[in-house]
Amino acid sequence: MSAMDPTEVFRQEASELFEVLEGALLDLGQRPDDRELVDSAFRALHTIKGSGAMFGFDKVASFTHEFETAFDRVRKGEIKPTQELISVALAAKDYIRALIEDPQSTDDIIGEAILDDLKRFVSADMPAAPVVEIAEASPPSPAESRRAGWHLYLEFESHILRNGSNPLDLLEDLCKLGPCFVVPVTDGVPFLDEMEPEDCYLKWDVKLHAACDKDAIDDVFMFVQDEMKLTLSPLEHVEAPAPAPLLQLLDEEPVIAEVAAPVVEVVAGQPVARAEPQSDAKPEIKREAAAARREEAKQERGIATVRVQAERLDELMDRVGELVIAQARLTQLAASGSDLSIKMIAEEIERLASSLRDTTMGARMVPIGSLFGRFRRLVHDLSRDLSKPVEFVTSGEDTELDKTMIECLADPLVHLIRNAIDHGIEDTATRAANGKTEQGRIELAAVHSGAQVLVTVKDNGGGLNTARIRAKAEEQGLIVAGAVLTDHEIHQFLFHPGFSTAQTISALSGRGVGMDVVKRTIENMRGSIDLSTRPGQGTIVTLRLPLTLAIIEGLLIRVGEGRYIIPLPAVEECVELTAEDERSRGRNFLNVRGNLVPFLRLRELMAASGAPDRHQKTIIISTGETRVGLVADQIIGNHQTVIKSLSKLHSDVTIFSGATILGDGTAALILDVAQLVSLAQSKVEKQHINEAA
Amino acid sequence: MNQDLAGEHQSGAMQVVMIGLGEEKFALDAGLVREIIDPVPETKVAGARAFVPSVINVRGNVIPLADLRIRFGMPQLDNSADTRIVVIELELDGEPVLVGVTADKVYEVTEISQTDVQQTPRVGMHWKPEFIRFIAKWREEFVIVPNMERILN
Repeated sequence: MSAMDPTEVFRQEASELFEVLEGALLDLGQRPDDRELVDSAFRALHTIKGSGAMFGFDKVASFTHEFETAFDRVRKGEIKPTQELISVALAAKDYIRALIEDPQSTDDIIGEAILDDLKRFVSADMPAAPVVEIAEASPPSPAESRRAGWHLYLEFESHILRNGSNPLDLLEDLCKLGPCFVVPVTDGVPFLDEMEPEDCYLKWDVKLHAACDKDAIDDVFMFVQDEMKLTLSPLEHVEAPAPAPLLQLLDEEPVIAEVAAPVVEVVAGQPVARAEPQSDAKPEIKREAAAARREEAKQERGIATVRVQAERLDELMDRVGELVIAQARLTQLAASGSDLSIKMIAEEIERLASSLRDTTMGARMVPIGSLFGRFRRLVHDLSRDLSKPVEFVTSGEDTELDKTMIECLADPLVHLIRNAIDHGIEDTATRAANGKTEQGRIELAAVHSGAQVLVTVKDNGGGLNTARIRAKAEEQGLIVAGAVLTDHEIHQFLFHPGFSTAQTISALSGRGVGMDVVKRTIENMRGSIDLSTRPGQGTIVTLRLPLTLAIIEGLLIRVGEGRYIIPLPAVEECVELTAEDERSRGRNFLNVRGNLVPFLRLRELMAASGAPDRHQKTIIISTGETRVGLVADQIIGNHQTVIKSLSKLHSDVTIFSGATILGDGTAALILDVAQLVSLAQSKVEKQHINEAA
Repeated sequence: MNQDLAGEHQSGAMQVVMIGLGEEKFALDAGLVREIIDPVPETKVAGARAFVPSVINVRGNVIPLADLRIRFGMPQLDNSADTRIVVIELELDGEPVLVGVTADKVYEVTEISQTDVQQTPRVGMHWKPEFIRFIAKWREEFVIVPNMERILN
């Protein structure tokens, strides 16, 4: 990490700050009165400005400064953040982002235009803001504070020094505002043997005799605001200014612990009872308290996160994959021998390997909320551009998914959300005519379901127009007129490349590029996509995604000579194929406790050679509601399956989703459950048609 | 090693791995060849195209095993003591792909020069001309330099 380019560090930091800023601005649109949000937006802005200047992004710093100045009146509570203002602020945020990420692509003129807009909104609202509000937002009126000065009490969190902030620097900044009288408060300083050398124990009592307003003081502590307690009260009356700024003393003594003592002496004449060490307190209790504090500090450190390059995680995953394969070989070897101690070691290693696998995969999991956050902006912009008021609701942000998958999901979800707003949600007039609320609603949800994650995009718009899709499909020659098709089948045409029913092509959608890309992207992740729609009530698009891309639990089976893996999460149960089922050759249905389940003979599918085993086994697999039986010769057992993708040369083979390496070093193929299920279903449908004919 | 090859290639000579398939000799561009291994257990891929019937495990990677004999309409022989798998790396649709190629025999790594190059096609050949880059002469025998990208696409 030390070799990392500082500029890159800044970019990363900035991108996180942008997320915070954007989130805060968007929330502000919903809750304009929330002061917390204004503050957090402002803090993000201020940090961007500060770090930008530090890393030489001067344009960023100066623009952000202007932005900040314009936005300042919002912070002071003088004006309310309106939707228009937030839109401009978002545009300003995008501009800063562009300045940082791709300075060549930006133009000063754009920046100036945005600032002009911003200033216009801010000043246009001026008369509208009642004067009362000013007083409310900042209790001491500025005029008063100008005369008197301020009394500050500074209390930093103990870990502040470790973050690289230096309270002394802050005090120095404070002194620039005017003459300061600084008194350190030492009652928090423990005995030497209890002292953590990196902790900050001092507090400061500061009297600032300056004609500055509250914001100037806030600005000094902007970066550490979260890590300190700042008590600010206006000075009642102007005291005699301190004879000499005590901070000069501090300047000469760089170590805080040493500074504490002399300063106490200097101010001994003043009434500073707090500075007296409380010697009457029982030392044991104090020690206990110190120990507890240290414990707390340790816990704090434990929660801390470490930034790791994704590449390294991928490498780690590869190594774990290799380990799992080697472990499978060891297990096989141990099982064939009779040495008990080797068996024990093999079991131990198996346990370790599987927990290592889980930990490694856990490290790659990120909550999907980070992705959902991005779409709020999209919805906001689209809803404004299309003048369709839309409420955007997300749920299941905590649902965790493999990091690479989250990245792959971004584009498909953008398409789906765009479609939902552009095509799904009707315009306000139509909604009103249909007795619906004026505001449309888009729900984005993620939920765990077995070994899958379901991501749904749900709108309460008009639903799919099945007749129009059908007409379009006929027009494009995809189906013959009058063919018998279920609604479900008709909806599948939406995933056809170049298929669009939109009568007008907008900048957003209607070109027919999109849904096929969405489908392909999802299928590349070994996921599937479902559409369900109710006329007049809306459409739900469900993406079913596997939890991970790297290692799965699998069921190892044998069909003829070949061995195959079925992803274990898809397996419901294993039953023996009875003689009765066997006899019903033509029907290919299985009676599972009264339910008819279609089955596929893997021997036929895999063109297996050799005589079949006498007792054929059926593995019941399912995706969602549908269940299908797979008939195999033998069920071998569980297998930790490291997924290797099949090469391009086998991309035409659909019934396998990948391959893995077995304990004996041979490759085995992983069955694609979704494909097999749809294969079985199409067989069933064909049979129905045959029977009907 | 690759750089050296490229240099020689430009100067008119070409380093090749000479392999035997049935009665014919093929010269694979040595720059493509990653390794030559003994036969390993194959895993049949149901539904795959005939010339890539299976996959194999090469050092933890599952790679397709191609059978050029099928592409050239030659009879398939059972594995013998001479059978080897030549692992080559190709660019297919702009992505590097490792492919194993079954060879009935691997002769040697040798050089063929531009002067040995013969014009294709010739009368009486029973394979598609697009699969062949050119035909060269090596020790009084005709050898085929196949166009692997075409064959495998």
